[in-house]
Amino acid sequence: MGDSKRHRILMVSDFFYPNFGGVENHIYLLSQCLLKLGHKVVVMTHAYGNRSGVRYMTGGLKVYYVPWKPFLLQNTLPTFYGTLPIIRTILIREQISLVHGHQAFSTLCHEALMHARTMGYKVVFTDHSLYGFADVGSIHMNKVLQFTLADVSQAICVSHTSKENTVLRSGLPPEKVYVIPNAVDTAMFKPAAERPSGNEITIVVISRLVYRKGADLLVEVIPEVCRMYPNVRFIVGGDGPKRVRLEEMREKHSLQDRVEMLGAVPHAQVRSVLISGHIFLNSSLTEAFCIAILEAASCGLLTVSTRVGGVPEVLPDDMIVLAEPDPTDMVQAIKKAISILPMIDPQDMHNRMKKLYDWHDVAKRTEIVYDRALKCSNQSLLERLSRYLACGAWAGKLFCLVMIIDFLLWRLLQLWKPAEDIEVVPDIVLSLDEDRGMSQDFQAFNEDHSLR
Amino acid sequence: MTKIQLANLQYLYKRDDWEGPHPLDTHHIVIQWNSARIFLVHLFALLLFINAIYLCLLNGTLGTIFLLSMLSSACLVKSYYGTLIEKESVVIIPSLGVQLKAHYWSGRVVRSFIPIDKILKPVLNENVTPFTCYWSLVLLVCGKKELILAFKVVKPPVKLLVPSGRHCVVLLIVEKPQIPAEDK
Repeated sequence: MGDSKRHRILMVSDFFYPNFGGVENHIYLLSQCLLKLGHKVVVMTHAYGNRSGVRYMTGGLKVYYVPWKPFLLQNTLPTFYGTLPIIRTILIREQISLVHGHQAFSTLCHEALMHARTMGYKVVFTDHSLYGFADVGSIHMNKVLQFTLADVSQAICVSHTSKENTVLRSGLPPEKVYVIPNAVDTAMFKPAAERPSGNEITIVVISRLVYRKGADLLVEVIPEVCRMYPNVRFIVGGDGPKRVRLEEMREKHSLQDRVEMLGAVPHAQVRSVLISGHIFLNSSLTEAFCIAILEAASCGLLTVSTRVGGVPEVLPDDMIVLAEPDPTDMVQAIKKAISILPMIDPQDMHNRMKKLYDWHDVAKRTEIVYDRALKCSNQSLLERLSRYLACGAWAGKLFCLVMIIDFLLWRLLQLWKPAEDIEVVPDIVLSLDEDRGMSQDFQAFNEDHSLR
Repeated sequence: MTKIQLANLQYLYKRDDWEGPHPLDTHHIVIQWNSARIFLVHLFALLLFINAIYLCLLNGTLGTIFLLSMLSSACLVKSYYGTLIEKESVVIIPSLGVQLKAHYWSGRVVRSFIPIDKILKPVLNENVTPFTCYWSLVLLVCGKKELILAFKVVKPPVKLLVPSGRHCVVLLIVEKPQIPAEDK
């Protein structure tokens, strides 16, 4: 680890395993790389069905599945102060030095960051999505974000477009926001030993079949491409409310033998689907980053994507053909991609992706952000309240009131259950690790004596 | 021989180590007398009683209200003591198994026995509730989906659980009698 201090990080989000997605993957892979760098990482999320309590994942990653039931779109019910006792307990027993929240849409993340700041911890926030400004939902979400980020130590965005969006929505100073793109596990996403041969060109689509992922665009694009190119076939992986529209399109244009619908594809099988194709099609209407095109490029596929959000920042120009989110423009882009396909070398593309994107690099850059966050000065409640007042004429006063009540409740908790009464958990170290600095009593107890 | 080994404000850990022809190893977690809670219960019962007397004096009659209040106060105190646990014990009987005992203030003792060949392993488990986390000593039992709590009610700090857990490991895992294959 060199001269860097060992950090003890609490990752908080409503989105984690067993759910699968960009945010979940990001938290898991970043945590694994931070563990390899020697830091301690603990994840806190809500319970998923019967998965409640403490679980350990690969590398000794400890996960707290707190039994707060999700109420809407996997989000914990927002109670403002209900999570204060459990968050305080976890922060003390794990001896956390820094809290890292993920995703603006996670209520657990917002509450954890608020309570952590009340208790004097440094906090870092990562925003994974782009949001609008005009609709009612976005206006409220942006206000909540403004509240959370008013007192955050540092923030991370996954692209420059995302940084611009976050800064405008939250009013955060741009110098506090770092851009650390996502990465891809190139060891898992490798091209096939032999590219699919023959005259047929296969275009792969893997995404949730929902409005914001551009499923309606596919309904227009697929029949037109099939009409122009008799040797092109499509493989569509994923599920969602728009699947019905795609099935109807297939029936209407009699494309059953040229459009294969796979349904939901488990993440472990995504690579096997990708390597059966030549071109990857992404039709998202909004994307902060888009890990899917990274995975496709790592498997050696040429990408055709809509020019939205942070997508233009993801791949070099010779690996991607961009189009406006319009069916005609997308058809033209696919036409261009088919024409340049013979010049694409999948293995070369994979090797370039290995150099461009690496989760270990993301972890090292995140470590720098943590170092800077911990160097931020400690501020008293009154100094912090002035930041909340700046959030708006009425909202500012409301936010101040919320923080004052949180502070008083925290003091009450300190009297009712002092920090000395909360036992510190010894660090569980894996047997391969040389550092066995944990309590001998505890370690000796839970090992299997019969195997000695 | 009884030894008081570990204690904190709320709990006391004691170990009884009986040697001889039938050795027993008993580990107790005793709840320290929670005077504040007992005081509140008695105070509530007294207030109920005083309220009943006041109503009777007001009405001038010794009626049903007084009797009902007396009864409910008595029931409140009795049920409180009836459910109040004095201590929980783990009795390790070498070569036979583990007996789990709960002693109530009312004198009632609830026992359950787990044979040694059913116990896979004792484990210190972290439990998470919506508001807090705590440790518990649990037994992994063959054929049971759920973990068996050695101490069902008490939630002592882990340093009070480790000694009893370690003796479980020694006597149940290390010194576990090997059951011949034909008897399994």
